[in-house]
Amino acid sequence: MIKYLLQSLRLYLYQAWLSYHGRYSITSPFGYISSKLGFPFFLMLFFIFMGKFVGYTNPLYIVIGNVLLIPAAGSMSGVTNAIGDERSWGTLSYVLGSPAPRLPIFMGRSLFYILDGFVTAVLGFAIAAGIFHLDMATINFGMLLLCIFLLAITSSGLGFLFGSISLISRDGWIILNTFLSALYILVGVNFPVGSLPSALQTIAFGLPLTRGIMAARLVLAGAGWNAIRPLLAGEVLVGAIYILVGYLCFRLIEKRSLTSGTLDAI
Amino acid sequence: MKALRWGLIKQQMLVTLRVRALHVLSLGLFVIQPAVFTAVGMLLSHAAGNAMPDLVYTVIGGGIMGLWSGLVFSSTYDITGDRYYGTLELIVGSPTSLTTIEAIRTLINVLTGLFSLGLAFVAALAIFGYSLQGVNFWGAGISLLLLLFSMWCIGVFLANFLAWSRLSGSFVDFLEMPIAFLCGFMYPIRVLPGWLQTLSGVIPIRWALQAMNESLLGNRDLPFLLTHWAMAVGISLVFLAITGWLQARVHDSIRLSGELSSI
Repeated sequence: MIKYLLQSLRLYLYQAWLSYHGRYSITSPFGYISSKLGFPFFLMLFFIFMGKFVGYTNPLYIVIGNVLLIPAAGSMSGVTNAIGDERSWGTLSYVLGSPAPRLPIFMGRSLFYILDGFVTAVLGFAIAAGIFHLDMATINFGMLLLCIFLLAITSSGLGFLFGSISLISRDGWIILNTFLSALYILVGVNFPVGSLPSALQTIAFGLPLTRGIMAARLVLAGAGWNAIRPLLAGEVLVGAIYILVGYLCFRLIEKRSLTSGTLDAI
Repeated sequence: MKALRWGLIKQQMLVTLRVRALHVLSLGLFVIQPAVFTAVGMLLSHAAGNAMPDLVYTVIGGGIMGLWSGLVFSSTYDITGDRYYGTLELIVGSPTSLTTIEAIRTLINVLTGLFSLGLAFVAALAIFGYSLQGVNFWGAGISLLLLLFSMWCIGVFLANFLAWSRLSGSFVDFLEMPIAFLCGFMYPIRVLPGWLQTLSGVIPIRWALQAMNESLLGNRDLPFLLTHWAMAVGISLVFLAITGWLQARVHDSIRLSGELSSI
């Protein structure tokens, strides 16, 4: 039993390293930084000027929301692309044909993206604090870091769901990109979830990130542990459900594609 | 020669349309993403206490976003797809220049993006009651043509970088938002600080778009429009000239050095 657990742990960590190395080892520092911070930064500026034009007087709300979306977007696209790239390079068949347990392999794929998203968001906050004069004096940094880390973890479940789509379609990244853009509306990035129509609010609270972003905003406003605890508990619960559903979905599609021999058909 | 050129154009059009433009997932690029940007603009406007969003910038501007995002992603996918399927080597090795092929493909991608803009116009008219009264139609029409021309020039210019290196895909993707942000796709350029307005002056899209938006808002100031059109055409031609210059170097670089498939 202990031997099996150690083997799984080794596999988990090795897959994490392999996944990250495979994705970023060919990237130049410019490519890495621009893919991590460039797009979110300019998107944030775009939303800020959109807000300025329509008379929205709280640009910091947009800044904070967009920085908090960084770990989630990184984690989601990282996991999706880790599976999609495996398929693109023709190595997916070998991975799925091996007897290695799937859970440490594919959970391992997400580890570095979670850490990467976390570090990028922390960096994003430091930059935002400098540029937009974000007042960090009254903030409990431990709780803020916890919220950011949680956002990166819970969103990896969505990554598994979209990664499953990558098993049956070469265009998983387009579907993911489209979904990511919907998050600008749904999870309270640019305006409070409460300002959405009630049907969209229901969808918003059924997604990971919504509660986590609300909790992080409370921390940034100086709130304590008691104020954010229910939100974090909800975030953990929703995130765990998505991770479980994502993993089951992945296994189901894998099983069906192995049975029908259609893994690389599309 | 003419028959050969038409055959080339027809073939490239068919390939681009079948592989990407008419792909069902392109709906995400041309419909859903612009709709999301429009929705963000509308909700921000609502949160700011406005009863109605600005239809030109918030709704029709969403269509401009779709036009641009569609061009960037489709053009990136065209080359990375060729690289992935192993057809980029055949294209570079063929007597027809890569720029000619990319010029045709980019034209199709730009024209496909018109669907997004058209849909935004229809939404503005049918859903939000946008009134055409007072619109400077000829000004908007000419500006739209120049906007498409500017986007085509930028698309052809960027295609060189995509062929040059497989890493350049992230660079081109990276340009999607800065161009949208600098050119004021969903807000007037005047909301940007002065130095950013100056910086945006080197992008031809900015001039054509500003002329189109002003025409839609009823501006009939001919000197203003002529200046903007001239800037759009002039800077686009500069981009085309640089593209021609770059093309020779990219071709030499990847064909003579045999480094097309390297990083």
